[in-house]
Amino acid sequence: MSTKTPNEDDILRPIRNTSKNYYILFGAALLAFAAFLVGWAYQLQQGLVVTNLSDWGSGGGVTWGLYIGAFIWWVGIAHGGIILSAAVRLLGMDRYMPVARLAEMLTLAGLSAAGFYIIVHMGRPDRMVTSIIGHYHITVHNSPLVWDVTVITAYFVLTATYLALTIRYDVTRLRDQLPDHFDPIYNVLTLGYSESEDKIIERMVWWLALAIIIMAPLLLHGGVIPWLFAVLPGMPAWFSAVQGPQFLTIALTSAISGVILISAAFRYAYDWDHIITDDVFRGLLLWLGFFSLLFLWLQLQQNVVGMFAAPLDTAVAQEATLFHPIYLLSMGMVFGTLVYIFAQTIRPSLFTRTRAMAAGVTVLLATLMEKILFVVEGFLHPTFEIYAATPGVYFPSLIEWLSLVGTVGMVVLFFLVLAKVIPVVELHAIEHLREDHGHEPVDESASKQEVEA
Amino acid sequence: MSADDESFHPLGQEWEDDLEAMLDDTEYDTDLGMQMAEDAMRVTKGELSEAEFHEQYHEDMMEEFGQDDRPTEQALEEMEANASNALEAFEGDEDMDRREMMKKMGAGAAFLGLGAAATFGDDEPSVDAAAQEDDDDNDGTQWGMVIDLEQCDGCLSCVQACAEENQLDAGVNWMYVLDYEDPEEDLNSGRQRLVRPCQHCSDAPCEKVCPTTARHTRESDGLVLTDYEVCIGCRYCQVACPYGVNYFQWDEPDVAAEAIDNDHVYDERGRPVDSRAPRGVMSKCTMCPSHQDGKQGEEMIGTTACETACPPDAIQFGDMNDSESAPQQYLDNVALTRAKSELAGNNFAPEEGLDYDELEEDDLDDAEEDLLEAVRILDGEDEPAEDDDDDGMTETEAERIVQGEEGSHASTFKLLEDVGTNPNVVYVGNEPGPNAEQTEGPVDYEQMDYERADNGEDQVLADVRKDVTDEGTVDLDYISERMPI
Ligand code: SF4
Ligand code: SF4
Repeated sequence: MSTKTPNEDDILRPIRNTSKNYYILFGAALLAFAAFLVGWAYQLQQGLVVTNLSDWGSGGGVTWGLYIGAFIWWVGIAHGGIILSAAVRLLGMDRYMPVARLAEMLTLAGLSAAGFYIIVHMGRPDRMVTSIIGHYHITVHNSPLVWDVTVITAYFVLTATYLALTIRYDVTRLRDQLPDHFDPIYNVLTLGYSESEDKIIERMVWWLALAIIIMAPLLLHGGVIPWLFAVLPGMPAWFSAVQGPQFLTIALTSAISGVILISAAFRYAYDWDHIITDDVFRGLLLWLGFFSLLFLWLQLQQNVVGMFAAPLDTAVAQEATLFHPIYLLSMGMVFGTLVYIFAQTIRPSLFTRTRAMAAGVTVLLATLMEKILFVVEGFLHPTFEIYAATPGVYFPSLIEWLSLVGTVGMVVLFFLVLAKVIPVVELHAIEHLREDHGHEPVDESASKQEVEA
Repeated sequence: MSADDESFHPLGQEWEDDLEAMLDDTEYDTDLGMQMAEDAMRVTKGELSEAEFHEQYHEDMMEEFGQDDRPTEQALEEMEANASNALEAFEGDEDMDRREMMKKMGAGAAFLGLGAAATFGDDEPSVDAAAQEDDDDNDGTQWGMVIDLEQCDGCLSCVQACAEENQLDAGVNWMYVLDYEDPEEDLNSGRQRLVRPCQHCSDAPCEKVCPTTARHTRESDGLVLTDYEVCIGCRYCQVACPYGVNYFQWDEPDVAAEAIDNDHVYDERGRPVDSRAPRGVMSKCTMCPSHQDGKQGEEMIGTTACETACPPDAIQFGDMNDSESAPQQYLDNVALTRAKSELAGNNFAPEEGLDYDELEEDDLDDAEEDLLEAVRILDGEDEPAEDDDDDGMTETEAERIVQGEEGSHASTFKLLEDVGTNPNVVYVGNEPGPNAEQTEGPVDYEQMDYERADNGEDQVLADVRKDVTDEGTVDLDYISERMPI
């Protein structure tokens, strides 16, 4: 524990101060995003031919590739984020309260990136509204893609509501210290606020959290997203009931990694070592280890069932996946992280924040590779694999790679902008930490110098 | 539904067996039931009077059921009406339906139901019987194909004709023909060739997953089509189709829209579903709606470009629900139809039969003469010789000649039938095994071309679409080619 007592100034620092690093990061993120927008504009002008995608079958291509792989990856991060935050609220895991809002923001950012990918992936994005909404009453009965769009939209609304409700409390109390030029925003956020609503809001948030936790495995990342693939009988690389749980574990590992990275960044930038303590990172790492274990366990299930004496097409697809270098690399990375995490629980001296961040980056890269490979493998080994051109080769084009850079830039921008407007750490969390401080011995000597930019 | 000679019942032996099994399952006397049923039939034929029938079984009925309140004529009439209604339930001619219906009727009713159902005698077809007969037509038209893989020469004429008809880009092979080999030697027999259009599935997964209804089944004739103005290009249909028959329009199509006749784009409902797709939407084999809608003239209805182009008549397009259609006629007697097709030359229509008069005038060699004679006998044109000693051919001999020429073996299959798509293409020949792998065919795709409608230039076909789309992929090569340095 740090000796410093967290106070309101701490959480207002991102809003009040703008460092040189902030500008640099903002510029870089903007550049990344803009670069992709240029690439996308070229794609709109030329058609999807600018990607390395093509028709499967006699065409020997893969028709869904990096765009869809990255789409599931972002959705996973987003869904994991909101599950994390809901769990914190539902189970009263107070230790993680300082990062709960960051997780919620990650959800909104991730869903935005995923939504953007859907549009980028379409041949005729201009028709999205007319074609999908116009026939919604028919297609909602059997198109997993429509289910996806529905649930993603619902979750966006749910998360935004959730965030808005908890923000009212903070903004009202901090109003005097917040910059005046955002007054219109604050006015809307706190519309009709009265102190008597606090109790009600608390209950509402609790119920929302419950709804999110229940819906997550049933509908969300354990449901409609994997069903995009898992229900298609002609594609043995996907056709499996294990995809639901598999997707959920990947979502949770990715999201925890994302939260670790973002929390570390904020802690570094605003000297929040007394707010987002090492304890938080240790705890997040342990959860990461736990979900990584589940992730590997389900991969094992799939490999054993797919290789032992599986139907021919399943065996072919599974073997191809298992021995694919990217698959091996990805699994190795998750396994390595797992080993580190368990080692540092036994021997706490192995823990450093940098290593925690490295674990986060490793897992995020591993899940991204796994997701893209997962999508591509489906087309390389369909049941009807008679075509000479199948399996073909697919290596994403520059514009496809650029989309990854661009969406990461987009998410960073999202955080940078939002951190300027609302407190990214809840007032509740600070209040809570202060209570703790009252009766906890001061055991850490080194308190960092406050360096204000 | 034909009455089996062995069966006392007009619905045939199968129905009778089902009933027997049904009665076996009950505690009641099966033999008695079957006997009653048979006699009930005699009542309807007038061989036995109702009174006699009643008297004969009254005691047995009392013994078996403890009551017998059948005999008023009114009751019988009522019963008939009920049973007729119940019978409508199994229009599908499926065993399951019959069984289910019988279960519903209950064993006791089954005893009597037999008698009631017996009113569907051959002599006096009731309304229901009529409904049963044109069973097929109730489902409406379902366009589809029979493709005889043993007849296909792999000449790619169909592929070329389709590309021309629809002005397709290179590599967009709505119709695709491939040769294959199985690593397991034993499985290699026959021509090992597959002709692969869209299967126009009755339970099309591509349609199911489409988020916009752009991919849809045309109600009037079961064609699975893509509305080019609704499709958003998500490509989910291509992902879900187990056959790999979809081709996305990754860039601007080669042939501009202005060069394509609107009649060849908009179908009879005014929806744009035909010809090559515009940029950013999905396309696949359409089975020529412009033909089926009569926009190319009456005589083109019921034909497709590929069918017409095929020199050995390997493709038979038609209504799969109509037993008189070309594909169904073909399936009826494959060897005979193959023989007729060979005699007639290109574009033989099985549903119309052979024009024997015209053939007589042709110069035929000896083998052909024999074949013709055999075909005439099997077709019922000529009387066969009674036995070997007589002049001319016996029926057995005729069969031997036709089968010797055209093969006796006519196994049929549907592609990936266990995936549950209910395809409307039936193949004659051998199904490629799961390990089969495409090999080089007799003709290269790159050797084929067609005349473009916009500038009259030759459009050369391509086998692998990705080789074509790769040209537009933005990679380092792409950039360096366009850099001024
Ligand atoms: S083959 Fe069947 S599933 Fe595939 S595109 Fe044609 S209708 Fe759809
Ligand atoms: S590509 Fe077009 S037709 Fe195919 S599923 Fe998507 S919207 Fe439907």
